[in-house]
Amino acid sequence: MPIVEFVGQEPTNSTLDLMWRSPREYGTASCTSASHRGRAVSPDRDECPAPSASQPGARRAGRVPTIFAMGGGGFTMEPENPALDEYVRGLAPAREPRICLLPTAGGDSEDQIRRFYTAFADQLCKPTHVSLFRLGAQLVPLREHLLSQDVVYVGGGSMINLLALWRAHGVDAILREAWQAGIVLAGLSAGSMCWFEHGITTSTGAPRAAAGLGFLPGSNSVHHDGEPARRPVFLDAVARGDIPPGWGVDDGVGLLFRGTRVAEAVTSRPGARAYRVHVVEGEVVEEAIEPRVLTLSVRVDPKTPLAVAELRALRAARQGRLD
Amino acid sequence: MTRPRQIVAFGGGGFSMEAGNPLLDDYVLGLATASGRDRPRVCFLPTASGDADHYVVRFYRHFTAARCEPSHISLFRRDRGVADIREHLLSQDLVYVGGGSVVSLLGVWRAHGVDAALRDAWEAGVVMAGLSAGSLCWFAEAMSGYHGECTPVHGMEFLPWSNAVHYDKEPHRRPAFHAALLAGMPGGFAAEDGAALHFVGEELARVVTSRATARAFRVDAVGGEVVELPLPATYLGVAAEPALAA
Repeated sequence: MPIVEFVGQEPTNSTLDLMWRSPREYGTASCTSASHRGRAVSPDRDECPAPSASQPGARRAGRVPTIFAMGGGGFTMEPENPALDEYVRGLAPAREPRICLLPTAGGDSEDQIRRFYTAFADQLCKPTHVSLFRLGAQLVPLREHLLSQDVVYVGGGSMINLLALWRAHGVDAILREAWQAGIVLAGLSAGSMCWFEHGITTSTGAPRAAAGLGFLPGSNSVHHDGEPARRPVFLDAVARGDIPPGWGVDDGVGLLFRGTRVAEAVTSRPGARAYRVHVVEGEVVEEAIEPRVLTLSVRVDPKTPLAVAELRALRAARQGRLD
Repeated sequence: MTRPRQIVAFGGGGFSMEAGNPLLDDYVLGLATASGRDRPRVCFLPTASGDADHYVVRFYRHFTAARCEPSHISLFRRDRGVADIREHLLSQDLVYVGGGSVVSLLGVWRAHGVDAALRDAWEAGVVMAGLSAGSLCWFAEAMSGYHGECTPVHGMEFLPWSNAVHYDKEPHRRPAFHAALLAGMPGGFAAEDGAALHFVGEELARVVTSRATARAFRVDAVGGEVVELPLPATYLGVAAEPALAA
């Protein structure tokens, strides 16, 4: 089974002790190892057979290509509010989904990776990450690992670097394959704009339009409320026709695309919005989209089978938490 | 006065790898003072590490303001930092490139036009130095071993040769380098940890080492066989070494 076990695997090239940590050093033991070790206590194992190495994406045949694009939020931006991350986790049909972080846009920042494992440690899932700067540490080939996931979660940072690095390592083609196979692609900021034809990036300083991968038609600008300098650049670019119409998305808001259409807008912050930005009779307009406010407090929602709730409670108790 | 084009390519070593042994770093800093500045301008490029914070901190700890005018460029945080990368690089005496992933390094540099800016700086006489990925990048072809297996990668071609690093410590690099040479890769140079190849123009001028036993090799495929020729090297630890005055 192609689950990446990084633990204890130091890079074979002894030379650069630069920057490699195992997930254990990020404090992931509670989630990763509990789920790997604990087959006996996992009543919720994915009933689908594990993918074979030759057809890593095969088991997802028939699933709708899904992208969840966040204007900002999730574990890096609102660690105290797990609503969006729980929503991401819930997008995967598997009960204990494999979630792989691609922290590429942040230069594989230790901090982003650590926050990821912390955030997903108390959710039912199998978190891993892939660092393109430290591929030597990876036991399983890149393509096979990514295509065996239920969710690929793309962190924020530099959109220009993200795309350059993905192309240099062939990750763009792998992600297209993953998307078409129904693996959920989620991300915030650069990890949101990358999926569209164009985004508004600050990767080179002042905000400007930059081409993305174009999985989704249209354009995307993030932090629509939080970083107001992006908004006029976005609106101008759409007005001039430099980039196609698209979506401006506030911090805390995520757009769910099934195929290439918006299926739902959700938010972790009441009051936050997404905007459809397009040109009507020569004028650029922002049409507000009211997102559904995600509720947090109920850990055991009706969709959660009892066994899962029990397992969560058990884990919480083990971690000394009162829930 | 026109300054020569110079590249110092470490097989491994310097502050990233040899704590307490500043010989290679002192050597490149010495080349940089030839500009005439008391405190040469040294810019660190940590790109191959993903601009890892702790790596940047270590650079500043070793290249202190007492000895030089240190700076760095983070290509992941361009909303802060130097505004004009090209101008900044051209104003330096030494550009020091850190280790990490050479494929990632080249991908990011090309996206930001850093490759072209570095070529201009090199041609203007700014000394280029680096270890590992920061060595491989200058050559036409490089053996990248940061990805588990060791595979050839096309570099920036400032130097028309091929290059392999960590030649002593990572035994898988050598057979891979030999196989690539036999498959038609241009001949070139291999350097062990602690050995640095100093090029003036496109030609190797000398080999210097921070360790008495570190070696570098000229490596070529000749008539279906690979020939490794150990190169004469100057150990920088011997203060009175006369070759240093050359």
